[in-house]
Amino acid sequence: MASAAPYVELHAHSAFSFLDGASTPMELAAAAAKLGYTAFALTDHDGLWGSMEFVQACKGIGAREEVKAITGAELTVRTSAPRAPAEYAHLTLLVEDGIGYRNLCRLLTAAHSHTRDSSQRTAEQPWVTVEQVEEHAGGLVCLSGCAGEGMLAAAWERGGAAGGAATARRLLRAFGRDRFRIELQRPYWRRDRSRNRWLAGLADRLGAPAVATGNVHSHGGKWRAHLQDAFVAVRLRMTLEESEPLRRGNSSSALASPRTMAARFAEHPEAVAETLRVAERLEFDLSRELGYRYPREGEPGVDRKLAELCGTLLAGRYDGSSHRRKAEAGLEKELKTIRALGLSGFFLLHHDLLVLAREVAGEVRGRDSARSILPPGRGRGSSVSSIVCYLTGLSHIDPVANDLNSSRFLNEEVGKQVGATMPDIDLDFPRDIREVLIPRVHERYGADRSALVAAFPTYRPRGAVRDLGKALGLPAHEIERVAGMVGFHERSGEIEKDVVAAIGPERAATSRWQMLLRLCPEAMGLPRHASQHPGGMVISTRPLVDVCPVVPAAMEGRQIVQWDKDSCNDAGFLKIDLLGLGMLSAVERCVEEVGRTRGKPFDLSRIPMDDPETFSSIRAAETTGVFQIESRAQMSMLPRTLPETLDDLTVQVALVRPGPIQGGAVHPYIERLKRRREDPGFEVPYEHPLLEGVLRDTLGTIVFQEQVIEVAIALAGFSAAQADSLRRAMSRKRSAEEMNRHHDHFIAGAEERGVSEDVAEMVWGQIQGFSGFGFPKAHSAAFGLLAYQSAWLRIHRAQEFLCALLNEQPMGFYPPDALVHEAQRRGVRLAGPDANRSRLLCHVERIEGELTVRIGLGYVKGVREEEMESLVAERERSGDYAGIADLASRSGAGRDGLERLAWAGALDNLVGRWASRRSMSPLSSPPPALPGRREALWEAGGAGAGVRHGEDVQMALPLEPPRAPELKPLDEWERTIADYRSIGMTLDEHPMGLMREELDPEVLHSCQLERSENGDVVEVAGMVVARQRPETANGIVFMLLEDERGTVNLVVPPPVYERCRAAVRAAPLVRAKGRLERHEGTTNVIVSAVGELDRPKSRRSPTKPKTERRGGPPTHRPERRGVRERAVAELRAVAPAGHSFGRRR
Amino acid sequence: MTPGLRRLYVPRRATVETGPGGEPSAVDGVAVEAVREEWVAEDRWWTPHPLGRHYFELVLADGRNTVVFRGIVSKRWYQQRG
Repeated sequence: MASAAPYVELHAHSAFSFLDGASTPMELAAAAAKLGYTAFALTDHDGLWGSMEFVQACKGIGAREEVKAITGAELTVRTSAPRAPAEYAHLTLLVEDGIGYRNLCRLLTAAHSHTRDSSQRTAEQPWVTVEQVEEHAGGLVCLSGCAGEGMLAAAWERGGAAGGAATARRLLRAFGRDRFRIELQRPYWRRDRSRNRWLAGLADRLGAPAVATGNVHSHGGKWRAHLQDAFVAVRLRMTLEESEPLRRGNSSSALASPRTMAARFAEHPEAVAETLRVAERLEFDLSRELGYRYPREGEPGVDRKLAELCGTLLAGRYDGSSHRRKAEAGLEKELKTIRALGLSGFFLLHHDLLVLAREVAGEVRGRDSARSILPPGRGRGSSVSSIVCYLTGLSHIDPVANDLNSSRFLNEEVGKQVGATMPDIDLDFPRDIREVLIPRVHERYGADRSALVAAFPTYRPRGAVRDLGKALGLPAHEIERVAGMVGFHERSGEIEKDVVAAIGPERAATSRWQMLLRLCPEAMGLPRHASQHPGGMVISTRPLVDVCPVVPAAMEGRQIVQWDKDSCNDAGFLKIDLLGLGMLSAVERCVEEVGRTRGKPFDLSRIPMDDPETFSSIRAAETTGVFQIESRAQMSMLPRTLPETLDDLTVQVALVRPGPIQGGAVHPYIERLKRRREDPGFEVPYEHPLLEGVLRDTLGTIVFQEQVIEVAIALAGFSAAQADSLRRAMSRKRSAEEMNRHHDHFIAGAEERGVSEDVAEMVWGQIQGFSGFGFPKAHSAAFGLLAYQSAWLRIHRAQEFLCALLNEQPMGFYPPDALVHEAQRRGVRLAGPDANRSRLLCHVERIEGELTVRIGLGYVKGVREEEMESLVAERERSGDYAGIADLASRSGAGRDGLERLAWAGALDNLVGRWASRRSMSPLSSPPPALPGRREALWEAGGAGAGVRHGEDVQMALPLEPPRAPELKPLDEWERTIADYRSIGMTLDEHPMGLMREELDPEVLHSCQLERSENGDVVEVAGMVVARQRPETANGIVFMLLEDERGTVNLVVPPPVYERCRAAVRAAPLVRAKGRLERHEGTTNVIVSAVGELDRPKSRRSPTKPKTERRGGPPTHRPERRGVRERAVAELRAVAPAGHSFGRRR
Repeated sequence: MTPGLRRLYVPRRATVETGPGGEPSAVDGVAVEAVREEWVAEDRWWTPHPLGRHYFELVLADGRNTVVFRGIVSKRWYQQRG
């Protein structure tokens, strides 16, 4: 070990100081090891967010040599009086022992406790008082703070040397002579030497040692130092120029070697030597036991209680079932493993939570709701394979009937390993239930004993371009243009091409844009701020604030621990995932709506599981809006795999994942499936006979996550524990070296079992390829069932299902506009928003005897939700609105809200009806023959409106508005644009339909493609519904276009993409030319050219009058070409952005 | 530079001798008695004219206080009013 290192770093910031640190904890650990540091302290601002990751990294994962990790934080202390303007200073606190760790956690929790007090709940500066520091000084070593804002140095800089000395004496009293140090830093600022001489003199006078620290902000490299500068500007919302006095001023905060650091403090050798003495006394190891226990852990009699509970439930569930004996054997085996691992309390706690969830579901759904018979949530993940989970309601899939193996979820050998983590039980809930359940868990277990897990959004290209572009002072419009282009891919190296495509090569070559291109890759993957995990919760028997700092979340009533799920796992915390699943919410909404519209409760559990019509639609890839199998990739696969059963869907759901795709499983699986369909006697080829047993169900390919474990055991003789370690290494980001170790064991083990090296390497390649991401079979079974249920609802309850999807947005692959058009093509009727018919959400009603989806007022963009709620409530209380004036006077809607409703067409039916509501007398004058949105706007303008005073609204007087003069009705283009602008969709003619007769005749309809020959060169045009650039597709971009008849799949090869980036990336309307390719039921256009559809036609075309539109006014097509081009340009501006999916780093 | 305006405190070239650690030992032939301060300014790296200077505030043998800096890229020494 590098015992000669003369210096230990006791003050360093990682990117978890959020925009005041430019390296990950792992980068710091690795660089420290490389430079020969024997110990190193991570002291992020007011948090331990990255501390566990740092400790793990220092233990050798990623670092070359083991470095002693010191846990600490730089704490902000408020130095001004309570009512005086806020002034802050910093202290560096390092943990000496368990008491110190608890005190640091409590101080950090206290520092954040008031950070969300404002009504907006925006994050404010955390701080504690000196008194709080004094109360929690035990077990902590206190360094007096940094050169710029340290408690002493800042006082000295402001000319308050006496005050600084008094503070030092106070801290000395609190921490004692052996745990207080005067901190010297050398940031190469102008007054370094003077300041350090004063501090060293003060240390002498007080008899407290001085200690040198580096205040590290990056692990090295010029560009990380520059990134640190830019981060400061981002944090302060300034440009680099503006932030000059507040930046560090030079790159000396990059990590330097111990010798370099010792040389920097040549005037203070004792302060350098003191770093080693301090490090030596800091024995606390965060990776050791923190004293965490979860409720019911080790409770007396838990084994018996769980066995009794499961026994009773089994008798009920399997009463008369042919699976009963197998279920009993499975339960016995599982209970034995659970007892051996001491996990009975773990399952009982989950059961308790489910009981709580049931209570919450009852409240949320209401007793009379059609949803009331549904379980509160569903299991996902590997836990679905467990019979204990099934019996206790934590899973809805019968593992016996579905032949699911729980060894991946529960394994005695794996569970007894050192550092083994708790099994994962993930529960999906409808969003509304989850929203209530999370605060209820806080109530049940105590606000100090439960919290959500943190998540850290990291820099990706779009955010990096926006943040760093502003810091560099680049023009806002250019930044936005570029950000719009980089949105859906995640490879930083391609940003330069995007910049060139967006703003041209000349601008891209300017120094600031070039700097942006250098900084963006450096920023990728660094955390930007802390957020909350979607549903991961930690529950503890002792106050959580003693084991990890807890901070308020942005959402009221929620709080988060400062660690993400990996760190919580490393700490041995029990993490319970209460996830919100949009499709589950949609299905529940649909069930409720079916019960309401059709007049009797609808039981989803009674639908047939082999409905021919449902499977037929799945095989034909008519799956828009269906859970998991609606993506383009799934749609192209379905006509080839031709699922016929739920088991087939289980494989289908798992197949189109990065794991099987990168592992090379997809094409062999489909090919073998086809061969077997043609020839039932077809023999599946296996890479080696040893694999036959474990890969039989998936035709010799690795599709499910647990098959990786099974293959490693079968082919290379891995123990269950080794195989699980391999699985975990595959799923964690900090694991490249671990994977290398597993590779060596795998090859050696396989050779010992008589497998040739070539075959072993080939299978390893499949395993490694699988590392991307894959589902366990149990999880796929759970998702496959939901996929089937949603497909069934789409076919048999089409209106209610569409309505539910619209109400649960955002979710899924398609924007609402595309969902609506697809449903309309299937004959589903829709009606626009109407102030006298719509509710806040969409609903289904009968119009002329037909079930029709009515768009809710909540879809009108920009209206206040509470205004629309009160509008609907007043209507339901006192009857329909008699006119716009009546609406304005009764509902309290403001002028802006009324205008937006008018633009959306929601007031069309009230135009001209200005009679008094009370008398309901005949209309005082006849309405215009064809009232429309312009009249509605006119009347809304004259009707008065509610005026908001804080929470209260002053109602308008019910005065009759002046009658509108004769106004030119909106033509269909104007109406379409108004629709998109106001509700984000159009229910009337598709824009491509409006454009069609002016398009060149060679541009085909989507449905005409079916009549074209394979290999024909075709031209198509449409709105972009989705763009995908999967990591696994070698740079190919898939686009889905929609026209008035259907959709078209475009495949954009990399050279075309490079040539036409701007159109492929950002254009909402495109025209493409390419070769038609038809293969096994799917039709694609392999694009050779694609461009923005900015003008319908290159030559003038004759116009002809259109037919009258649904009782509306005659259409007025713009006659002049310029008018039409402007209309298309306007449409481009308001058309819904297609969904983009693609690469992640 | 706008006509009519004049830059103040323009650095002027200086002849600086240095010791083994790179610290100035003499400025324009006058020995350095003490280094009072030493600091580094690195800025405007995002512009075509980045700034990188290693400054020393010195007490010279003739009793004067002076500030010199070495351009980090140019490696040249300049004197500037402190």
